[in-house]
Amino acid sequence: MLDRTKIPAINPVEHIRFVAPERVEVGQYTELLWVKDVDDEAVKVDFIFNAGKLRDKKIIAELTGELLLSGTPEMTSTEFNEAIDLLGGFVNVEVGPEDATVSVYGLTSTISGLIPLVMDAIINANFSEKEFEQELQTSKQGFLIAQEKVSTLARRAFVENLLGNTDYGRLTQVEDFSSVDRNSLLDFHKEYYLKGLTKICVIGNIELSIVEELIQRSKYICANQEFSFDYPFTTKPTSVYIEKEGAVQTALRIGRILFNRTHEDYIAFSVLNTIFGGYFGSRLMSNIREDKGYTYGIGSGVAQLKESGYFFISTEVGKDVADAALIEIKKEMQRLANEVIPTEELELVRSYSIGKLLKGSDGPFAMMDRYLAVERFGLDLSHYDDVIQTIRTITPEKLQALAKKYLIWDEMVVVKAG
Amino acid sequence: MIHYEKFTLENGLRVLFHRDPNTPMAVVNTLYDVGARDEDPNRTGFAHLFEHLMFGGSVNIPDFDAPLQRAGGESNAFTSNDITNYYDSLPAHNLETALWLESDRMLSLAFTPQSLEVQRSVVIEEFKQRYLNQPYGDVWLEFRPLAFTHHPYQWATIGKNIQHIEEATMEDVKAFFKKFYTPSNAILCVAGNLELEDVKTAVQKWFGDIPSGAAPKRNLTQEPVQNEYRTKEIERKVPSDAFYYGFKMPGRTQDGYYTADLLSDVLGRGQSSRLFVRLKKELDLVAEINAYVLGAHDTGLLMISGKANDGVDLSKIDEEIWKVIDELKALEISTIEHQKNVNKVRTTKVFSEQGVLNKAMGLCLHELFGDANGINLENEYYDAIQPKDIWKSANHILHQKNCSRMFIKAIK
Repeated sequence: MLDRTKIPAINPVEHIRFVAPERVEVGQYTELLWVKDVDDEAVKVDFIFNAGKLRDKKIIAELTGELLLSGTPEMTSTEFNEAIDLLGGFVNVEVGPEDATVSVYGLTSTISGLIPLVMDAIINANFSEKEFEQELQTSKQGFLIAQEKVSTLARRAFVENLLGNTDYGRLTQVEDFSSVDRNSLLDFHKEYYLKGLTKICVIGNIELSIVEELIQRSKYICANQEFSFDYPFTTKPTSVYIEKEGAVQTALRIGRILFNRTHEDYIAFSVLNTIFGGYFGSRLMSNIREDKGYTYGIGSGVAQLKESGYFFISTEVGKDVADAALIEIKKEMQRLANEVIPTEELELVRSYSIGKLLKGSDGPFAMMDRYLAVERFGLDLSHYDDVIQTIRTITPEKLQALAKKYLIWDEMVVVKAG
Repeated sequence: MIHYEKFTLENGLRVLFHRDPNTPMAVVNTLYDVGARDEDPNRTGFAHLFEHLMFGGSVNIPDFDAPLQRAGGESNAFTSNDITNYYDSLPAHNLETALWLESDRMLSLAFTPQSLEVQRSVVIEEFKQRYLNQPYGDVWLEFRPLAFTHHPYQWATIGKNIQHIEEATMEDVKAFFKKFYTPSNAILCVAGNLELEDVKTAVQKWFGDIPSGAAPKRNLTQEPVQNEYRTKEIERKVPSDAFYYGFKMPGRTQDGYYTADLLSDVLGRGQSSRLFVRLKKELDLVAEINAYVLGAHDTGLLMISGKANDGVDLSKIDEEIWKVIDELKALEISTIEHQKNVNKVRTTKVFSEQGVLNKAMGLCLHELFGDANGINLENEYYDAIQPKDIWKSANHILHQKNCSRMFIKAIK
């Protein structure tokens, strides 16, 4: 008779295989990374530029990115899109704080046609008056819609208060849409796209000749410098409430300046974060969702900036229980500082985290992400061996010490919107 | 080509196996043939609420997630109007843990009042977060009853209103489980770097003794032919006017589904599509416009939706949308325009089938449609479609008496 009350034997993950992409130097500040081990026709090429929102007014960086693939003197935006679509391709531009990424999706049979089209569009982008006006309107509408969400209101106030004395804390305001002009986009393009390519990331089982041609074409737009940052990252604890009439939920954002991957406490703190709010069985989820039913979801994490990082908690809760939720969040922080984590819970988190690391390293797309996540900070894939080692050996006492050191309620920026 | 093996247990559970030698992970995907369309009209939102309760412990195992996490895995699920789908992924050598957990909750749930109370609150917060506290969040709550007057597609998966979730009782929960959560109403897919014989043995071990139960009979009220132009206008505190057109179209297993899918692409998929080029690029009337299909299993909807530019009247947009539709009905599209959309479908398919989890979900879904191998035939289905089929489909689907239209007027 089958005993269903007994869990089947569980074996630990013995080994995770991390494979670095092939690397080719393209310029002094530019490299090509290639993961070739793909078992189907999928191909993705990312072009990463020094063209993030920190380079200028946020709205200029954003609009330049949004309009980057909107036509050249030789080709209207519609003609460009026709040509991409005919090859069954997809393109996307994403503007982050530090970088902007142009992604091209295609198949092994079509990528050699897609690459020159996209590169021509990037290099010869002319930001025509008409495209500019249209995008301005679309972008403004998107902005106004986002402003109606309590999550947006909370995130903006959080960033503004936490990172206000750095360029990360600058926010786009509705007036910016009336003051921005086309020429500033042209200047931005010239400075940060035409002299800003830092990386080309290729995932796909494609011919070497295609990659070689890609390298040749990229030489003209290589980055001419490496940006460094020197911001005074410090948390000034505050508490902010933004009222939104008619809201039925309240968005909460709580956090503090912390550190990025390069800090000696980062890996260990990540384990603590998993316990606190980093997975479905976390303290925050168990208490605030699965015990109290205050929310659909709650989580915490450590956001990574080039020279720093910040810890954050994020949730949307019923408006009537917002203060009760804050009290519980505070309690959970204090509990980690005041009580040792039970062995059973820690063992579970060890196994879960290693399984999660294995899953997050599965397949060519995941592996490229893994590599970029460390390379960005000058680390290599051996960092993940340290991660595994820490997950396996960290003690409850060490975790408690970290909670005492970093999870201090009075040092947090607390934002409530709704 | 996604290779798979299929076998059926004596209790009726259909099992698919996909071997992928390149991944260290295994996936267990369980599709139950029950969705919001199977709900009582006075107890809507139930299939989804029930999905939450499936994580509240089963007859022999008090907690679903913790043992899976201990095995290095994680799990989630989703409910649609048509199906409920659960998935676990974990290191392949711990596959048995997932089978142990999934089989126990197929056998029976713990049915604790605490779990019901908490998940009721969680789902109500989900309702607020996704449908009530977002600009345009209640569109589908308003649009579905306009487009569907008889079929249960008239309510959204989350339910008609919060009250239905508040009123759910333990008796309802138990009855729902008994009726729908049986082996013969489920399709299981195991995928990973595993061997067929081992998978067969393990699945038989954990699922083989679950009583088959009576297979539920689905007898839904089908939507009658529409035969009238339905219009509705609502006012909301949102920044811009918005428009939604829904045309009845064949369900996923009916003839003409794939043709209608390509028809929607011609109209409004991406920035070289007809509606986008005309209404946005040429006429400057809209900030965004899209056309797409809902992918419903029964008679579904081909949608056109978007948001107006500031100061543009919705009636002007309406006029231009119908002009584009009339042109499409008058003249066959060119081979090039057609090929463009077929090519995009092909790329999308390759990317949507990345990873073992997506493959396992796709196999289960096609098995539900009648044959798992359907996933490997889709490209052929699309290739067989000709411009004249699109033209016929346009003339069949895109007319006012087959259309429901909703406008949202922005108020300050």
